[in-house]
Amino acid sequence: MEVLKGAIALIGYGLAAIGPGVGIGIIAGNAVQAMARQPEAAGMVRTTMFLGIAFTEALALIGFVLFFLA
Amino acid sequence: MEQLILASGECDLTQQTVCAPADVTELFEYRIPVFEILGFPITRTVFLMFLAAAIVAAITFFGLRRKAVVPGRFQAAVEALFGFVRDEVAIGIIGPHGIRYYPYLLAIFLFVLVGNFFEITPFVNFPITSRMALPASLAALTWVIFIAAGIKRQGVRYVADILWPPGVPVFLRPLVGAIEFVSTFLVRPFSLAVRLFANLVAGHVMLTLLLTTGLVSLTTIGEIGALKGAFGIAWWALGLAIFLFEVVVIVLQAYIFTLLSAVYIETSVNPAH
Amino acid sequence: MAYLYTLAVQILATAEPVPISEGGEGGGGLRLLLPVPEELIAGLIAFGIVFAVVWKFGIPALNETLDARAAAIKADLDAAEQAKQEAESLLDDYRAQLAGAREEAARIVEEAREAAEEVRADILSRAEAEAEAIRGRAREEIAAERERVAAELKQQVADLAIEIAGKLVAESLDVERQRQLVDRYIEELGGVR
Repeated sequence: MEVLKGAIALIGYGLAAIGPGVGIGIIAGNAVQAMARQPEAAGMVRTTMFLGIAFTEALALIGFVLFFLA
Repeated sequence: MEQLILASGECDLTQQTVCAPADVTELFEYRIPVFEILGFPITRTVFLMFLAAAIVAAITFFGLRRKAVVPGRFQAAVEALFGFVRDEVAIGIIGPHGIRYYPYLLAIFLFVLVGNFFEITPFVNFPITSRMALPASLAALTWVIFIAAGIKRQGVRYVADILWPPGVPVFLRPLVGAIEFVSTFLVRPFSLAVRLFANLVAGHVMLTLLLTTGLVSLTTIGEIGALKGAFGIAWWALGLAIFLFEVVVIVLQAYIFTLLSAVYIETSVNPAH
Repeated sequence: MAYLYTLAVQILATAEPVPISEGGEGGGGLRLLLPVPEELIAGLIAFGIVFAVVWKFGIPALNETLDARAAAIKADLDAAEQAKQEAESLLDDYRAQLAGAREEAARIVEEAREAAEEVRADILSRAEAEAEAIRGRAREEIAAERERVAAELKQQVADLAIEIAGKLVAESLDVERQRQLVDRYIEELGGVR
């Protein structure tokens, strides 16, 4: 039972990482596009990008914690 | 390194692919006090925390002691570090008011940076930020500061605007307010702490396991055979690559922790969002 | 120092993990997530130290350095500005002096030209006068010579005439009267001319 629980937790974390992974990719990609179009706004774009990544990453972090809790 | 060598004694690569302990906690918990001061246990982690504080103090002191108009290399580097946090983070994110939070943000940045760097420091190889105590306490401090800044700046409206957000259709306000409340007061400090913690835990686990496996496979290559030995060396090479990658993670996570602290303070100070 | 070093080595070598059973079964991961009291306290104290050092020493020291640097740069710029102004005024001075010198040179050249012109005119006039004088003298000499030659010729003509006349008219006439006669004749001749 213990082994099964651990395996399910692993799968759960893997699933939880999909969404944030895609999301962070989209954010970073669009940020690169924005920086390429307007290099003078690169500082602002970078900050906003980190913010967006932080919010998106929170989901993966919750998954990480739940993996430990399981 | 000691923990690598200690762990390697229990590792048998004829049975395992990678030297993994039965419980990852083993890699992080060192709660046997070496000695006690007034009943306060000085464990390895506690010692490293004070060591990090001493290193930051030493860098600050020796970097800025001479106050030379034409700075030397070290002074210029320390000045650049300080100036980066002031211009890019404190003033860049929060605005002109940000100079008030500059000491706090700078202290966080330097402390977390040095704490992270313990991950790849030879003979230490243990990031103190991978113990929940440090990220949690710093995140709690940021939490207190941004709530205090919001209440000081906007009064009761700060909390009221979050719970009953203006500019949102009335029937949605309870829902949005609840989400905002959870996101602002619960998820923010939690994710701030866990992000740093998780990154450093993951990095430490990977480095320890891969480098230990490489070391053990090199020392016991006669018993495990050439094939497994080659695998072990591959693990070791991967560990070295991750070692380099961790340098980026270390700096980036310290920066992100500081940046997000500044962003959270900014949302309290400037309500027009 | 040596004591501190041994202490550090001793602490770093303490890698004895806590027995897993202590945290309860299966809860190992959760234990990792919960802050440990002594580390929480130590972390806050250590952060307090960092904050105090940065706040009370680092930032004031850095600001002092930056202010000193700004002041030094400002002083340098001011000095440069002053030097530039000085150089400009000096340049104006030199320009004025140069213009004066040029004028002076032109004046001197003009003067020299005038003087040379004067000398030329002088020499020319003097040479002309001298030439005139030489010409006059030559004319006088020529005249005198002609006169002398004329007198001589007159003399010879008279003598010749007397001689011829004496031969022609025979010896009746004495020499003195003949001479007078010839003289009168020649004078008459001269009057006709």
